[in-house]
Amino acid sequence: MRLPGTRYQEHGWEHVRKLLGACSLEVFRECDLHQMLDSALHAGLLDWYTDAMAHALRPVARRLRGETAGNSYGDSVAELALALLFELQAQPSFWGGFACAVVAEHARCGAFWSTEAGDGMLRKKVNDMFAVLRDKVDSDNYQAATGRDCSPNKIYTYRMLDTAYREIEGLFANWERNAGQVGAILGRELGGYPIEVRQMTSIAGCRAEWIIRWSATQEQFGGSPGPLHTRSKRFASLKNNPDKIAEMLTEIGDYEELSANQDGDWQQDAEDATVWLEDYWRVVADTNEEVSRPLSYDRAQDGAALAALQNEPLAVRLAVFQKLLGPADDSYPDDWRDPSTGELPTMQQLAVMGGVSVPTLRKRRNETIDRLYGRVN
Amino acid sequence: MPDRKLQERLLLAREVPGDRLVLEDSVLLEALSGSRALSAPQLAALQASPLTLKRFRHLALQRRRSVAGWRGSAGMLRAASTAQALDSLVTDDGCWSLHFVAADAGDEGWQVILKLEASAAFAAQLMREQPLLRVLDGQGSVVLQGRLDADGECERPWAFADDPSEHFQRRGAGFSIEPAGR
Repeated sequence: MRLPGTRYQEHGWEHVRKLLGACSLEVFRECDLHQMLDSALHAGLLDWYTDAMAHALRPVARRLRGETAGNSYGDSVAELALALLFELQAQPSFWGGFACAVVAEHARCGAFWSTEAGDGMLRKKVNDMFAVLRDKVDSDNYQAATGRDCSPNKIYTYRMLDTAYREIEGLFANWERNAGQVGAILGRELGGYPIEVRQMTSIAGCRAEWIIRWSATQEQFGGSPGPLHTRSKRFASLKNNPDKIAEMLTEIGDYEELSANQDGDWQQDAEDATVWLEDYWRVVADTNEEVSRPLSYDRAQDGAALAALQNEPLAVRLAVFQKLLGPADDSYPDDWRDPSTGELPTMQQLAVMGGVSVPTLRKRRNETIDRLYGRVN
Repeated sequence: MPDRKLQERLLLAREVPGDRLVLEDSVLLEALSGSRALSAPQLAALQASPLTLKRFRHLALQRRRSVAGWRGSAGMLRAASTAQALDSLVTDDGCWSLHFVAADAGDEGWQVILKLEASAAFAAQLMREQPLLRVLDGQGSVVLQGRLDADGECERPWAFADDPSEHFQRRGAGFSIEPAGR
């Protein structure tokens, strides 16, 4: 499913989710999860987790570079995973949600992570955290691209409908073998080749009633209730609202058709995506002129904070860039990069370079980042 | 330019609970084109909302692309317009229209008026730079040449023997507008 601005599509998400899950289990082995029970430690743990995850994802990203496309825009699975990790860093409440889930599970059955089923339980919680964050990221980007309001829940609903359509498409393709359910979806007895199968050439041609009937018949034919008919009732209101479903199916279909020939748009964005900052500064200056006095706006925006960054030793600066932009941003000059990897040096290497310990470097890096965000003076 | 990337990140990657689009597109577009500055409270609202900043970013990039990218616009005579007298044509990008006005009674000729839509992303730039523009029919003959006036219009006498509808039908049914200095 493509919607304006969104990056996380079902077919690639499976891989992104598995990669994030596998790396998370790997890094959690290095950590005593009892710390999660103390909410005062959550911020520090998030800092540790995002560092450790970025480190674990680096070799995977290098190995998979240009190989596995995680969406139809050509972003790789590893890029999508890293992007989500950076979002997590910027949106700590999602980490807070994960911590709550760990605390609640611990309250029920103790240190579950060291039990036999521990990996699975932990992976499930990591999956949930990133799935919710993914919907938030996609809904934000959808709003930025369209100017229309959209909640993470609505994005989740779009995904559900898209998945339902794919299921129906699959049943239609094998209609003879699935004659019972296809008949139930179409609401009539099949007397030979159903014309609807030929007519439904895209999601725009899928009727809302079919989605509702497909979901209603999933328990009978597929073994478990369809998404509109589960106990959780998450989508229960939709099953009485075919107009809403039809509207959403049409939107997915329209944009799919529109965007099929416009793949270049995103690349144009990447050429020099930061030129918009010039427009931003001009707009800020225009307002200041208008009110004829300088406004105090965020330190992060007036350049003073960035100037302060220039006074930090190179090791700290590179650690800051690595934390905020990742190890391999296109904008990095060659002399910042480690020739053997083409990426910024690791924290260990930077610590050696700066003549300090890794914890000291990390502390100075985080203090600098706080100043950049204007969180401290 | 890693510094700029970093600044972008600092502006956009912040968690603001309950963030939503706080300014209308029209407000952002006016600020971008310079036609109306944001008020101090509007600017404060923009800076406090990463989501609205992302929308601003999107609109700014879109605007830059179409300003830098305007090499011309084109349109087609629609089938429906063959049935009756042709009074206007619009380019496919919706940024331009051509209007045809029969001259006063007794007089045989037509006037043709080129009109730039104010909402076109490149409108402010063209109004500022006043380039020489040229309208061509489907076979490359010049229908009109001139500069836009302060209303974003350019009016000229119709130079052909056929009336506009017949003329465009005979000449490939298409038309285009481009800067003349190429």
